[in-house]
Formats: sequence, C-alpha cells, structure tokens
Amino acid sequence: MRIFENINYDFLGKRKYFYILSGTLLLLGFINLAIRGLQFGIDFKGGTEIVLEFQKPINISNLRTYTDKMGLGNVELKTFGRETGVLVRTEMQEIPGGIFPRVTSAIEANINKILPGAPYKKVDSSANSITYQFANADTANQVINYLFNTEGFQAGKVSNELSNRQMIVRVGISDWIKDNLKQKMPDNAFKVLKEDKVGPKVGQELKTNAVLAVFFALIVILIYLGFRFKLIFAVGAVIALFHDVLITLGLYALLYNVIPGLNLEINLTIVAAFLTLIGYSNNDTVVVFDRVRETMKLHKTVDLEKNINDAINKTLSRTILTGTTTLLAVFVLLIFGGEVLRSFAFTLFFGIIIGTYSSIFVASSLVLEYSKKMKGKLEF
Amino acid sequence: MKEFRFRLIVILGLIALSVYLLHFTYADYKNSQKLEKIREDVSSNLKKTSAQLSNDKIQTIIEAKLDSVRESDPSYARNKAKRIKLGLDLQGGMYIVMEVNTAKLLEKLAKEPDQTFNQALKVAENESKLADKDIVSVLARQLQSKGIRLSRYFGTIRETDDEIVAKLTKQSEDAVTRAMEIIRTRIDKYGVSEPSIQKQGSRRIVVELPGVAKEEEAKQLLQGSALLEFKILKEPQFTIDVMQKVDQALAGSGIADSTLKDSSEVAKAEAKKDTTKQLSKEEFSKQHPFFSLAMINPQSQTAEAYVKESDKAKLSLMINRPEVQKVIPNNVEFLYSAKPFTAQDGSKLFLLYCVNKNPELTGGYITDAKANIDPSSSQAEVSMTMNSEGAREWARITGANINKRIAIVLDGQIYSAPNVINKIPNGQSQITGMKDLEEAKLMEIVLKAGALPAPVEIMEQRTVGPSLGQDSISSGTNSALVGFLIVAIFMWVYYHKAGAIADVALVTTILFVLGVLAGFGATLTLPGIAGIVLTMGMAVDANVLIYERMREEIASGKTMRASVTAGFQHALPAIIDSNLVTFFTGVILYQFGSGPVQGFALTLMVGIISSLFGALVITRVIFEYMVYKNQHVSIG
Repeated sequence: MRIFENINYDFLGKRKYFYILSGTLLLLGFINLAIRGLQFGIDFKGGTEIVLEFQKPINISNLRTYTDKMGLGNVELKTFGRETGVLVRTEMQEIPGGIFPRVTSAIEANINKILPGAPYKKVDSSANSITYQFANADTANQVINYLFNTEGFQAGKVSNELSNRQMIVRVGISDWIKDNLKQKMPDNAFKVLKEDKVGPKVGQELKTNAVLAVFFALIVILIYLGFRFKLIFAVGAVIALFHDVLITLGLYALLYNVIPGLNLEINLTIVAAFLTLIGYSNNDTVVVFDRVRETMKLHKTVDLEKNINDAINKTLSRTILTGTTTLLAVFVLLIFGGEVLRSFAFTLFFGIIIGTYSSIFVASSLVLEYSKKMKGKLEF
Repeated sequence: MKEFRFRLIVILGLIALSVYLLHFTYADYKNSQKLEKIREDVSSNLKKTSAQLSNDKIQTIIEAKLDSVRESDPSYARNKAKRIKLGLDLQGGMYIVMEVNTAKLLEKLAKEPDQTFNQALKVAENESKLADKDIVSVLARQLQSKGIRLSRYFGTIRETDDEIVAKLTKQSEDAVTRAMEIIRTRIDKYGVSEPSIQKQGSRRIVVELPGVAKEEEAKQLLQGSALLEFKILKEPQFTIDVMQKVDQALAGSGIADSTLKDSSEVAKAEAKKDTTKQLSKEEFSKQHPFFSLAMINPQSQTAEAYVKESDKAKLSLMINRPEVQKVIPNNVEFLYSAKPFTAQDGSKLFLLYCVNKNPELTGGYITDAKANIDPSSSQAEVSMTMNSEGAREWARITGANINKRIAIVLDGQIYSAPNVINKIPNGQSQITGMKDLEEAKLMEIVLKAGALPAPVEIMEQRTVGPSLGQDSISSGTNSALVGFLIVAIFMWVYYHKAGAIADVALVTTILFVLGVLAGFGATLTLPGIAGIVLTMGMAVDANVLIYERMREEIASGKTMRASVTAGFQHALPAIIDSNLVTFFTGVILYQFGSGPVQGFALTLMVGIISSLFGALVITRVIFEYMVYKNQHVSIG
C-alpha cells in the first residue's frame, strides 16, 4: 500500500497560501485568547476542587441554587463523566471570614444537640480550625465522637492526655461543601471521588515550574538543532513550535465550556501535553530538515527552493504515516482514556495535526525566506 | 551466522529479564485475588457464627487472618515488594504537602505574648505570606521598629536579638523534623501499607498514604500535638506474674492462635506431629497462647517480651479481651516499643513492656534536649533539661525509684527505658543506652516533640477515591490494548510482512518499558499509561523512516540486501536526532513535574529508548536474517 509515492509538488511555491492559513489561525487564536482568555485549573490558581458521585442523576442548575448560597463566592459546577458525577470548584482555600459565623453556629448547633445545656466555651480559632473547651474529659470525648463519627465533622482531641478536655474542629472548604450538600439533599447520597486543595503558595510554585519547563525545553531544542543543523534551521523549528502552541492555546480559548464533558482547563497534566506536543512537532520538523540537509549535500548546485521541495516530497509519506499512527493512538486515549485523560488526549490530537502541518510547510518556508533575505549561500 | 548469534542472545536475554521482572507483578495480582477470597469467606463465616461482634472487631480478625496467611508464605512479601508500583491516582489514596505554621509556632513559644506582640506577629505573618520572606526576621524587624528587644518574648535577657533570631530559625527547622517523626509514628500505628513521608526543602513535609479509604481519620492523624510521658516500668517478677495470669486467662478460655487457622490445616499439622517430640508449636500455642507470641528471653534479667512485627496486632487483640483485662491490675498497662530491632534471622521484633498506667511526668516540663557523644566514654547520650517545676518533680521521682527503670513514652509508644542510677536534683539528666549517635538524635527529637509544639498546615492535598482509581486502571488498560491493536493492524496493512516485523518490535518495546518500571521499582500513574499508549504510536516512527527509505532504495534498483543496509544507514541520523530531542523534553518534564506528570515523563523516556532498541536492533536482526536466508520481505 502506498500513498504520496513519487510526487513532486511545488509546496514552497505555494507558500503564500500557507502563510495566509497560518496567519488566519493565529489571528483567530489571539482574538479568542484576548476575549475569552484561558481557564486555569486549581493547580495554578489555587483553590479547592471536589468531585462527587451521587446515587441518582443530578441536575446542575438545581445544585447551583444550593452552592450559590454557601457563601463561597463564585462556585463552578461541571459534570464529571456521567450524569451522576459533579465537579465543584472554588478559588478559596480557606473559609472566608464572612461565613465563618455560619460555620461556627452549625458546629455549635450539633454540640447543643448532643449535650443540651452543658457549658462549653470557644478558646481558640484560626482560619481553618476552632477549638472548644468542655467541663471535663468525658464530655469532650463524647462530643468529639459524635461530631466525628455521626456528623462527619473533622473533630479531634487537642492532645492525647487523659485529662484533655479540649476539642479542635478543622473547617476546610471541602468539609463545608460536603456538609452543606448533605443537609440540603438528604435523599441523594454522594461519595467523594476526588478531592484536591492547592494553597496559593504552592499554586504559584507550580505555575513557575510549568513556565520554566517550557522555557528550558525550547532552549534545549534551539541549542541541539543549532548544533546539528545550522542556526537558521533551529530558529525556524522553534518558531514553528511557537506557532503550534499558540494555535492550540487559541483552540482552548475558543472551546472551553463549549463542549459538555470536555473540560478544557490549563493544569499540570495539560502542560505536560503541551511539552509532549513540542517534542512531537519537533520530531517531524527534524525529519524534514534531515532530508533537506542530505539533499543539499548531494545536490550542491541545485537552488535551495528546489532542494527543500524535494526533501518535503520525499518525506511526505513518512510524515503523514507517523502522524496517522500517533493520531490513532491518541484517538484511542480520547475515547477510552476516561475523564481524567480526556483534555490531555484532546491537546495531543489537535496539536499533532497542527504540528505535522507546521513541520511540513511552516518551518521550511521560514528557512527559505531567511536564505532569500540573506542572499548568502546556505551550505552544509 | 555469528553476528546474528550475539545480537540474538542479547535480545532474548533482555526479553527473559523483562519477563522475570514482571512475573512478580502477575504473582502479586494472583495473591491479592486469593486474599480477597479469604477475606470474603472469613467475613461471611463470622457473620454467621458470631453475629454480635462489632464491625471493628470483625475487621481486626480478618486482618489478623490475612496477616497470618501472608506470613506463612514468604513469597507474598517478595512479590509485593518487586511488583510495579501503582501511583495514587490508580490505587486511590492521599497525597499531602504540609508546612510548619511558623507563625503559630512563634505564638506558642513566646512567653507572655501581649497585644503588641500579637499585632506585630500578624503583620509579619501577612508580609511573609505575600513575599515569601522568613517570618522570624520579619517579626524581629517589626519589634525592633517599635523599640522592643526580642528577649522580651523569647530566650533570656542576656541574648542579643541576632542570637535569638538564629535560635528561633533553628527551632522552626527543628519543628519540621519533629513533626515528621510524630507523623511517621502515628501513620505506622494506623497501619497504612507503604506510606511515604519525606521532607521537601527545609520547611515542607510530603506524605503519601496509598489506599487510605477513610480520609477523615487520616487527616486526624496529622493534627494535634504529641504526648510525651514518663512511666515507671514494673519489676521483672511482677511483670512475669501478670504475663502468666494473662497466659492462663487466654488458655483457659480456649482462645489460641490455632482457632484462627482453618480446621483442616490444624488437622494436617496434628497428623504430622511426632509424638515423641516435646510440645509442638501447635500444642504450645494452645497451652500458652500469650507466650507463644510474646517470647521471653530466660537468660535476661529484664522482663520484656519480644513480639514479631506480624504478631503485634494479634497480641493486642488478645490483650484487649475482657477476660484478660480482668486479670491485669488496674494501674498497669502493656506498651510496645516504637521501633523494632532486627533479629539475626532478619525478622523485625518489637519489645513489649509492662508499665504503670499513670505517668509520673509529662513532656511539658522539658525545656531542652541535646544529643552528643560523651568524650570520656565515647558513648552516645542525650542531655535533658527541665524547667524549675519539672526539676523539683523529677528529683522526687528519681529519688524514689533508684535502680528502677523509667520508660520514655511518646504517643503511647516506648522509645527507651533507661535505668535510674541516682537522684537527679537539678533537672539535668543524662540518658544513655543508645546504640549510636543516630539513635541518640532520635531520642532528642522525641523528647523535644513532646515538649515543643510543631503546628503544621496542609498546603496541598490530592485525594483520589478507590473507585476512581479503579476506573482509571480500567480505562488505562483498555486504551493500551486497543491502541496496540490499532497500531499493529495498521502497520501490517500498510507494510505487509515488514509491518509484522515492526509489530514484533512493538511488543518487545512495551515489554521492556514495563520491565524497566518493575525493575527500578518506579511508579505507574495514569499519565504514565498514556505515555505508554503514546509511545506505541511514536515507536513505529523509526520503523516507518527505515521502511520508506528501503522502498526508495529498492525503487532505485538496489538489491534487497543493499536496500536493507542503505535503508537503516540513511534513516539513522533522522531517527537519532528526532528521538533525542523528545527524550530531552521528557527529562525536563521529569525535573519540573510532580507525581503523575513525572510518571508520564518516565514512561516516555523509557519508551523512547526501548523503541529505538526495537527498531534499530531487533528489526534489523530479523531483516538481516531473512535476507541471509534469501527470503523476500515484502515492504508493501
């Protein structure tokens, strides 16, 4: 079976059209990025995210009426997987001061339920915990047991001494969300599939690491290619990479929240997908350049444009083929990989298509433009 | 033929190695299935025979039974240790990053903090949060700007501000070590399989609790402060007496280790018994259930019992039975040592002590502890300092208990039980008996842990429930299988026989990747599985490059043999260049990523190396062999 065998198409002659195509895509991308921007996951913004699976199908708009009243500001709700899965996300990492009194009264209501009339007092409170003191160790243990085992609060002893009569209750965003939902929807029990909480400092660090990783990857590529080929080839390759990443990001900006079930937000896994994309697109480009180098060495007197065209034609079937096999693999991931890998596979799927295109047309066109401008001879 | 033989041997050797490394994973999978079946059987049995037992008790009995099954066959542990490890996103569990809350630490360490102090501390806290500056120096500056010396709140008058800042900074670093030790012991007690507790940088602790189902309980482990107590060890004679009473109580009520075994197993063991031998193990454990698990060294002058790590849970269960509790005097209790020591045969043994239930003193009276080597005796020792109140009490306690032993207990576990040599009047004690400086340093941490606070705060937390983990495993394996089939079929359709050869290389690539993961004990995550699927798609690239080149060469008129050689030769630089760059990307990802992302980078890198080997060595050998045999290989 053969495809693209013995073809001799003048790709570079038509490069004007490719510039227009790339330019349009990039422009679309920029417009989307400017208007809609990108959605960042809690990995970078910090925040709390919990994924719940309910016993019965859940209506997101109904759920929203409850979550809006929790006092947590802007709470995002999305379906996760099937119609019984919900993803709840808020940017807050700690209970905001405004609703702290509500949290306190919820806890104290429970204390009063199990120990009506018994004296106790609040002795300490911080951003994420409240400490109460009771009359004696037995009452304290009673309350702790009740709150922890029956009501599901994060209550515990302050110290393990036998005489300890203080109880500390941890109040985190996820606890507040879970408690609220349990109360508001007693007939639809849920279990927690996944729970993530990222503090602001950590979020900042993860963002820095991601940027550094991309930066270093590009530097490495620049150096290695500059070393193996000529510098202009390296620059052409890196520009093609920028082109790929920007267009794919534009796609993200266009499509997030548009397709149900496709959760297009930027988190660590997606950054990994982009880095993989950079690696793959570069693969393709290198194969074309390698052929160009070989052709140029063999046919020194032939003009550059014909050499490059030649190289592209000869490598076209390989490029399409490898692109196809990789796309097939990624497609399998997209279908079977489950909720968690969906956006990862999506990034790679479109990225590979765009990357293949850029390797064939954009990178080499840039090299040609440069050599035409420089009027010098490119030699190996 | 000779060139073939060498490469063939290498290839077959690597395949055999991979299969060997992977068989542990398969064996462990089979073992887990067996254990699950036993769990279900025992559970339904218990529900039928003793329906009144509480859920917790049933769980403990099941766990004890499973432990005994694991113990009886050493291959269980070996298989578990050498299998491919699953990341938290595949087996469920918690990943927590904690940082010492230095602000709270300073608040607790300050003597008589007042309004000014609290205000300054709050400002310092906010400032350090935003700019990531060290809160101790910010606080110092705040107080200095108000004209207040640090010694007002910390340390003594004689110390300068700088000295106090240095001491406080050391304190907050120490706090991380303390917190780690406390968390480690608690998690050990909780019984998570293969937990991981590591320091990250100078102020952070990363805890991984795989398979933790009850998230609330686990989070409870990580809060609160540790309790340090000093308890008096009972005399040897007293201890042996109590132990014998316990033993009789257990034997009398017919509860012995053997009831937990299958009756068929007991029958088998009985049948093999040699009647002329002294009491067999079965008999002994029936008549002396306590002593068969808690072994006493008859030559030692002390009365500690040695308990195997695997028997700990069983023994605790036995001791907690109501009929046993009745014969143990109200004011004593049995406690385990915190750390085991390794016996000659490699098994881990814990010590079981009998101590007074009420502590003589708690850790709040300790002001400092320091480990060092005594210059005169070259022995490791720990110097412990107490405050004036503690010193008074301590003088009384040591005076009244000369030649007795006092156990140092942290969170209910005994770290050491040194002898009281003489009365200690000034609160300055020297504790000896540690094996080396490292053990002494541990004792220092323990003493400080009970005395000083180490408030930690959770900065990042990822929890994956077990059902999501299970789902991820299924989707991962499905993707891998389907991906492989699709790519393999495609190659065969497009390149015919040569495609089939490429498929063989593909199989070995996957095999090697998994083998390397197993061999290095690396962790497989969901993105890691995605990396394997991706590798499948990209692995054939090298083959495609070679085959396309070979087609060209054949079209230009070269013979099969020459085309094969030329094909490999010309495709090589492109293959190396492109794969090398992707490999570097993988290295960078591994460096900057965390957890699941690192798993992806790892499978990507290993996948690239394996696929290169598959395409350049395995495919080539097969081709050259066929050419050598003058067989025609169709390349589509």
